[in-house]
Amino acid sequence: MWVTVTEALKILQSAPKEASADFEVLLACGFTPLHLQTFLAAHLQRHLRERWVRISTGLYGDLVGTIESLAGRPAQGAAIVLEWPDLDPRLGYRTSGSWGQEALGDILPAARAMLQRIGAAIERIPPGSKVAVCPPTLPLPPLFHTAGWQAGEAELELEQSLAEFCAAIGSRAGVLVVNSRRLAEESPPIQRFDLKSDLLTGLPYTVPHADAVGGSLARLLAPRMPKKGLITDLDDTLWSGIVGEVGPEGVSWDLASHQALHGLYQRLLASLSGQGVLVGIASKNDPAIVERAFQREDILLKPEHVFPVEVHWNAKSGSVERILGAWNIAADSVVFIDDSPMELAEVAAAHPGIECILFPKGDYAASHAVFRRIRDLFGKDRLSDEDALRLASIRQGAAFRQSGEDGAAPESFLQQVKAVVSFDFGLSTADPRVLELVNKTNQFNLNGIRYTEADWAAELAQTGAFLGVVSYQDKFGPLGKISVIQGRAAGDTLRVGTWVMSCRAFARRIEHQCLRVLFDRCGARQMEFALTPTAKNAPLQEFFRGVSGEKPEGPVVLTREQFCEKCPPLYHEVTERQENRSE
Amino acid sequence: MNEIQPRLVKCFQTVFPDLREAEIPSASQASVSAWDSVAAITLVNVVEDEFGIQMDFDLLPELDSFDRVLEYLQKEVV
Repeated sequence: MWVTVTEALKILQSAPKEASADFEVLLACGFTPLHLQTFLAAHLQRHLRERWVRISTGLYGDLVGTIESLAGRPAQGAAIVLEWPDLDPRLGYRTSGSWGQEALGDILPAARAMLQRIGAAIERIPPGSKVAVCPPTLPLPPLFHTAGWQAGEAELELEQSLAEFCAAIGSRAGVLVVNSRRLAEESPPIQRFDLKSDLLTGLPYTVPHADAVGGSLARLLAPRMPKKGLITDLDDTLWSGIVGEVGPEGVSWDLASHQALHGLYQRLLASLSGQGVLVGIASKNDPAIVERAFQREDILLKPEHVFPVEVHWNAKSGSVERILGAWNIAADSVVFIDDSPMELAEVAAAHPGIECILFPKGDYAASHAVFRRIRDLFGKDRLSDEDALRLASIRQGAAFRQSGEDGAAPESFLQQVKAVVSFDFGLSTADPRVLELVNKTNQFNLNGIRYTEADWAAELAQTGAFLGVVSYQDKFGPLGKISVIQGRAAGDTLRVGTWVMSCRAFARRIEHQCLRVLFDRCGARQMEFALTPTAKNAPLQEFFRGVSGEKPEGPVVLTREQFCEKCPPLYHEVTERQENRSE
Repeated sequence: MNEIQPRLVKCFQTVFPDLREAEIPSASQASVSAWDSVAAITLVNVVEDEFGIQMDFDLLPELDSFDRVLEYLQKEVV
């Protein structure tokens, strides 16, 4: 059990009641929520320390009605907990409806119809609310003619209907489904059901199971930020053997050599790279030998999956430093994997916050645990087009910087890169990449404010709201969506509450172009920026120092004249569009 | 046995945070509006956590005041 009832209550009592923002969640279940409500609130509160979590519930036995109520009073989140009696009361213990073969003929279509109703109710939840759904977790009652160890036809049909329902709702943006297999690891099925509590209080869960379900839902509604990059060692990690001793043909990672653990690790890294995770290499080795190893046809992690590659005989902390620089991300967004505890300690000491994992060479069980941990560290609920572009754009950025350093003057270099900056001013909440960019960006971020989907939808619904989503490409390739600027027009002033730009897009004067386009498009006399200096947004502070002439201490007002006076020459081709609002 | 009362007061503070410490020894289901059926079950769980015992839901109707819970614990907790 993660927390006890007492600990959960204490977490809730220490919540910041004066918090600037609430996090309101509707818990929809057909039974008495009791401890489930307490645990859900406590787990959410632990994830969202700066907010005050508030949970509301619906009427006993009216799951669909509770879900439908969200259409009229949207919340930041909805936690929907299904149990079998929600599909038909005869699938539970609290009604006197008959069991048996005859009843089953009626129960199955009734359950399918109820799943359709629940699915339709979920469809009607406004898009600003994040929805977490937990499929039934309790054993079915003994109403089937088969013995408990045999899955009978009716039971399988029921499971199939449920699986189809979960697949359908899970494909909807903003709806996330609890992984039943993972939940079974944390809360073994035999320890979940409390018949006495079900009959006497209406809560069918044991206390530990209520805790596990609450925790699972909280992880979906308030997920931690996924890691962005993975730096790996080579010898006895990416492959078995010391390549400098046995040569490129001597290292192995396949089943035939009994070194498939390393092959699995390569497959996992290649898969992560394809999902937009940055993969780099830090190895003490001879670079020429390593290059030959990567030329082997059977290698599973191909050179194009990896950037940068730091192979030399110097300290790995230095390699990590340079890789972080190339990626332009902080150590706390990165995982470092090596088979040497000493190397891990050296890197950890130099880069506080980096997550160091020992590659357990030769230990199959421990390796399996590491692979699962890696999945959890990098897991994200949806992939975006930008995920596929990320590694290419990092390489592009390196090429961009390299070209700029190869003798061309900055101005002539910027003139030659054929940059296109595209603005989309549609007020849409449909693209999850926009909010992801807002919530993940630290360095060029106006104030570091993180938004829930509901917060964001509320911002865009304000009178005079505007939203600019900026994409970029040049002769080195596309960077995808790299900046978001959002605020409100008030008279001749634009009030900017959110402005972020990916660090991949620095040094291209895109930030200047953003302001120039906004001034031109809106005809504003001035812009007010809700700037809050943070420990991480020094690049944005430096930008404002450049255009306003002084280091900002808080909110900044910038007039059109001030901006035009300080704005350097811009060489981008600019495109603008405004799509219709689509929610 | 003397240690039971202050530990039980802590339990009541956890479940009924709005109750002043001085009010707790005289608290009962009749005098504390927040002491509903949900709070009664929560109180049982918190007492279980604190004293490392298992309590039966059947006892809920009887454990309707601080004194009665204290009396129960004085019998059950060694």
